[in-house]
Amino acid sequence: MSDTPQPKREASDAEIEQLLVSNLSTPPLSPEATERVRAAVSQAWEATTSPAQTHETRGHARHWGRWSGLTATSLVAIAVIFFAIKPVAEQDVIGSLARTSDGGIERTQGLIWHHALKVGDPLRVGETLTARSPALVALAEGGTLRLAGNSVIAVEAASQLSLEHGKLYVDKPVGVIASHPLRVATRVGLVEPLGTEFEVLSNDQVVRIRVREGQVRFSGATGVLVATVGTELLASSGGQVTQRPVPTFGNDWQWTAALAPDFAVEGRSLSDYLQWISRELGRPLVYANAQARERAQRTILHGSVRSEATLDTLADVLSSTSLTYELADGAIRVHFTR
Amino acid sequence: MYEADRELVSRMLAGDQRAFDAFFGANAQRLAAFAARRSALDPASLEDVVQNALIKAIRNLATYRGEASLRTWLSEICRHELASVSRKMARRPAHVSLFESGATQQAVTQLRAPEHLEPAAELDSELRRGAVVRVLEALPERYAQALEAKYGDGLAVEDVARLLGLSTVAAQSLLARAREAFREHWRASAGAASEGSPL
Repeated sequence: MSDTPQPKREASDAEIEQLLVSNLSTPPLSPEATERVRAAVSQAWEATTSPAQTHETRGHARHWGRWSGLTATSLVAIAVIFFAIKPVAEQDVIGSLARTSDGGIERTQGLIWHHALKVGDPLRVGETLTARSPALVALAEGGTLRLAGNSVIAVEAASQLSLEHGKLYVDKPVGVIASHPLRVATRVGLVEPLGTEFEVLSNDQVVRIRVREGQVRFSGATGVLVATVGTELLASSGGQVTQRPVPTFGNDWQWTAALAPDFAVEGRSLSDYLQWISRELGRPLVYANAQARERAQRTILHGSVRSEATLDTLADVLSSTSLTYELADGAIRVHFTR
Repeated sequence: MYEADRELVSRMLAGDQRAFDAFFGANAQRLAAFAARRSALDPASLEDVVQNALIKAIRNLATYRGEASLRTWLSEICRHELASVSRKMARRPAHVSLFESGATQQAVTQLRAPEHLEPAAELDSELRRGAVVRVLEALPERYAQALEAKYGDGLAVEDVARLLGLSTVAAQSLLARAREAFREHWRASAGAASEGSPL
């Protein structure tokens, strides 16, 4: 027996195939790398195809513009007929605008209604809403919807929104979620809350879902995934979904805390306030000992605090009590001081 | 000749998102594999090569005339990108001091790769891969494309057929001829190198 090669032996088809497979197959680009490449290439493509780049494209835009003008005219006529016969009162109200800053929310319904919403105005099924600046929406069935500036959503049903682009955050208190879930449709799949707090971001390259409390179910082109608290899903247009752990607190969540609904402190216990700010900041609340817990439960607050949920406002509130806090392992740890 | 490719490019130039998705989906991973077979670059450098090649292609889309398949056109751009990376690497210093600090020296001398990644095994593997790719590139272009698509990219015969604009039967026949040509070239190259067994 010898390991000496046999020079004259003809390689079989199977051996040739094995040689080719073992030497030509390579590990694929990772999903993260693919997404990075896609984002860069997409940007280059958009720059190449912008109307200012080529005469051909400009010609195409003009051509499309003429046809779209005709189409729009026809659609306006249809929309006028549609809204003339459909009573506005029949349309479901999903919530109302609770807070906004400069720019506010612009409402488009069909092709004929197009105006800015005021605080207190209802949001109805069938409307498309463009948040020019961050906005807080109080949902009719409980909880809040928060929109980052330059986000566009379509209210498709009483229980479903479509995020066209931008970023939104859904917060449904425990108990409300089961009876009145709010689903978010994106161009790559549907996000259904199984828990209570999650964020969805959509741009030209990717849809990102971050779960801050509870769970969400994501149904995309390639299947269904359940993401738990502290998980980020990254879904590309090509159908690939990657997931990774993310913290539930920190800078990335500051925009949601800045849009936190007001907490009416007057007559409420300090422990209620601590629970609220713990949830808004995404940091678990831990009492250092039973004495701290008891003191928080027995302390009743009077006056008012800034509506923003920040560590500064927490420090302000605690400064007038015998409690202090520290951040430990991501949690708010409350101590009793004599 | 490559009407489908020309149409895809036209749609991309007109800003059609679906066309871009199809272009990226069909080519990004394939180019990464193409580059990996022809180099020993680390994953981050491969990512750069693929990204640069695709961006160059996108910027020159208007020059694509459909005289070669989009796949071949992109492969050539990727080949140029690899050559450019290779030239840049050749200009870098070949030696790095490991004696800058005691800690560095200790860390380096304690490193040991898994057995299959030991330098000798890795070199053998790289040499063999390089030899296979060289033989592949010496074949007629259609043969090389068919073999690379089938055994490198893992496409089914039907997909190879679609890629090359052939019927399934014609693709099977082309693959058989390509394997035979590869076998002959491999044997010749092994003989020339006095290596003994072709396998």
